[in-house]
Amino acid sequence: MGIACNLLFLQQLRGAERIRPLIFGFCTPNKEAHLSRYIIRRLVSVIPTLIGVTFVIFMFQRLVPGDPAVAMLGEHATQENVERIREQLGLNRPLFLDREALAEGNIKGFFDSQYLRYLGRLLVFDMGESIHRRIPVAETLKQRFPATLELSLFAMLIAIVVGVPVGIISAARRNSWLDSVTMVGALVGVSMPIFWLGLMEIMIFAVILQWLPAGGRLSTGVDIPSITSLYLVDSLLALDFPAFKDAFQHIIMPAVALATIPMSIIARMTRSSMLDVLQEDYIRTASAKGLAERVVLFRHALKNAFLPVITIIGLQAGIMLSGAVLTETIFSWPGIGKWVYDGILGRDYPIVQGGTLIIAIIFVVVNFLVDISYAMLDPRIRYE
Amino acid sequence: MSNMTETPPNDIGTIDFAVREHRSLWMDAWRRLITSRTARTGIIIVALFIFSATFAHYFWQYEPKTDLDYSLKLKPPTLSPNEEVPSVHIFGTDKLGRDIFRRVIHGGWNSLRVGIVAVGISLIFGGLLGMLAGFYESMLITSAERLVLFGLVGFTLGLLPAWIAAQPLQAILLTVLGVIAAYFNTFQADKKSNRVLIFAIAGALVTALPAVFIGLTMAAVCGILGLIIGSILALPLNGKFFSTTVMRVMDIILSFPGYLLAIAIVAFLGPGLEKGMIAIGVVGIPVYARLVRSAVLSVGQKEYILAAQSVGESHGRIIFRHIFPNILSPVIVQSTMGLANAILSAAALGFLGLGAIPPEPEWGAMLGDSYRYLTSGAWWAVLFPGLAIMLSVLGFNLLGDGLRDALDPKLRT
Repeated sequence: MGIACNLLFLQQLRGAERIRPLIFGFCTPNKEAHLSRYIIRRLVSVIPTLIGVTFVIFMFQRLVPGDPAVAMLGEHATQENVERIREQLGLNRPLFLDREALAEGNIKGFFDSQYLRYLGRLLVFDMGESIHRRIPVAETLKQRFPATLELSLFAMLIAIVVGVPVGIISAARRNSWLDSVTMVGALVGVSMPIFWLGLMEIMIFAVILQWLPAGGRLSTGVDIPSITSLYLVDSLLALDFPAFKDAFQHIIMPAVALATIPMSIIARMTRSSMLDVLQEDYIRTASAKGLAERVVLFRHALKNAFLPVITIIGLQAGIMLSGAVLTETIFSWPGIGKWVYDGILGRDYPIVQGGTLIIAIIFVVVNFLVDISYAMLDPRIRYE
Repeated sequence: MSNMTETPPNDIGTIDFAVREHRSLWMDAWRRLITSRTARTGIIIVALFIFSATFAHYFWQYEPKTDLDYSLKLKPPTLSPNEEVPSVHIFGTDKLGRDIFRRVIHGGWNSLRVGIVAVGISLIFGGLLGMLAGFYESMLITSAERLVLFGLVGFTLGLLPAWIAAQPLQAILLTVLGVIAAYFNTFQADKKSNRVLIFAIAGALVTALPAVFIGLTMAAVCGILGLIIGSILALPLNGKFFSTTVMRVMDIILSFPGYLLAIAIVAFLGPGLEKGMIAIGVVGIPVYARLVRSAVLSVGQKEYILAAQSVGESHGRIIFRHIFPNILSPVIVQSTMGLANAILSAAALGFLGLGAIPPEPEWGAMLGDSYRYLTSGAWWAVLFPGLAIMLSVLGFNLLGDGLRDALDPKLRT
């Protein structure tokens, strides 16, 4: 391996313009094999996490005070009706395992519990139906998910497009007034209660200036053909610019509110990661041989500084999803967050279960993807 | 002699740097802290916040339940009394005619309480778990500790068949089996031959036999469980096993996005400031567990820990005398930032109506109460509570940043 490493190093030296630090670990003989092994190992560790997630969600929703059967029928329901509904929903079954059935020698009855029924239904994407409105949860989820996705993606776009350059610039101009201003700004951003920021936006842009609508996803009367269900993309595909403008006006305020915290965190992370890399010898070499600062910053430094930034961006995805509950509530954005919030207030178990589960699963999957991409970029991770 | 130790006042400036007065590590950190401008700003904001909240709580009585005056409903801020508003309200009044300034100041006390209690909960549980996980991951366990570990594993796993068969006897028997397994692991560690088989059969027998009295199916199911538990007990479990189990549970908690878990916990416990504290505290547990574990792991590699071990110090003494003081600085930094986060989360819960119950002055709940009046122009009812949240959170974040630089100069960038 040592010889291979030297050879690769020499190869790299030949193309002097393309010196890359050995951090990228080109010494790994067959990195594909290691990568697939890492992916499989990581995939296996996701399974207990997912089971744990379903378990926790199931427990919380079942331990919440208040009987969903009573919630469905109202306070004045007769005892028989309540019993019938409980029977229908399976609420009369034991939570995890039916030990009385087993004592009678009935193995099938032993496993016929609320939790295992719940897991079984999940495997066929059946999340029950909303208690109040009797609409299947999976259907509403399908309908509402694009709204949350569009908002989160757009907010993430803002956060990255603003946060990364700001971080690079303040690292490059370290200790200048620009650096101080942006870093104080980033710290204020991290400390920002996003629901308050959203309210201030509404006050300034919707109430005082009346430039933007205060809430919702689209004005009434505007119609967009559904292709991807992301209104911004759909209206562009249909070349319907007035509709695009309308969708954009609706999304910009919640997206900025949602983007503030991730943007500040990304800017801070990019800065500190860049500062670390800029101290390396190969940066000094690159500068010493007279490369333009732009080339040193973007081609030599950024590539290596970007690894921790990717992790942070991935982690922000999850934080964004929980931030969506607040943002969507303020801007009456018809997404999952507001739906879950309404579900909690209305004690609508299936909605809360379904919505929380989806958010948690997305979170787990995104973290998994981030780990994988990290391992692809930095082979040292695979040896853990 | 005396004229040698006394230094003339005008010579102080020329004292050799190498023989300057002795300064402790903490004193050094404090000096670094107060020389940084951001940290100073943070200290001032935090001190102001703590002082105003504490002072108001003890010396400026406020009774939220009786405080209302409809004639002063939603009045804009005034700096001097006039004929319409006879009293001064520098932050204006809210929908019930309550003085917002007063409520903001008193709300600080609630936020402070939430922050301290929530961080306390996360720190105590998370810190303890992380400490044990990190310590036993880097250290070999003693025979007494192995006894406890195996007994606990036997008991915890034994609870399942005991619950299914409704016979507490099985958990006790499996605990005993665990203790026996610990004995074999300590003294017969080299004889591996067929220990797994023996323990699996023993486990199956002790769980199946009591269950026979209930029914044969029950005995069969319990026997299978006992078989599995027995073979687990035959494995050479060590500190790494304990650490992995704890951290896996922490990972599961971490796989929920923060607010969502807090909201779910509050939905379960019911709204209220105290319940919000618990929810925010529980959500923070894995963060501290991971932090403390990684800090302990890095300290555990140091030579002075090895030295302490080799002179035969007990594990408890190593943890409290050698590891604990050396992991304090990351924990202090994280706790300061954790206070900021807890205040922010509490405000979010309050805003959603899941935190403090209405007449109680709490910043988030104040926002949630009055944001509907924003469209009718009552900006002051929303601006000031939000500013209070932002400033106090900013203060703790600035302080945390400064503390990190001061406590660990190597990290400074």
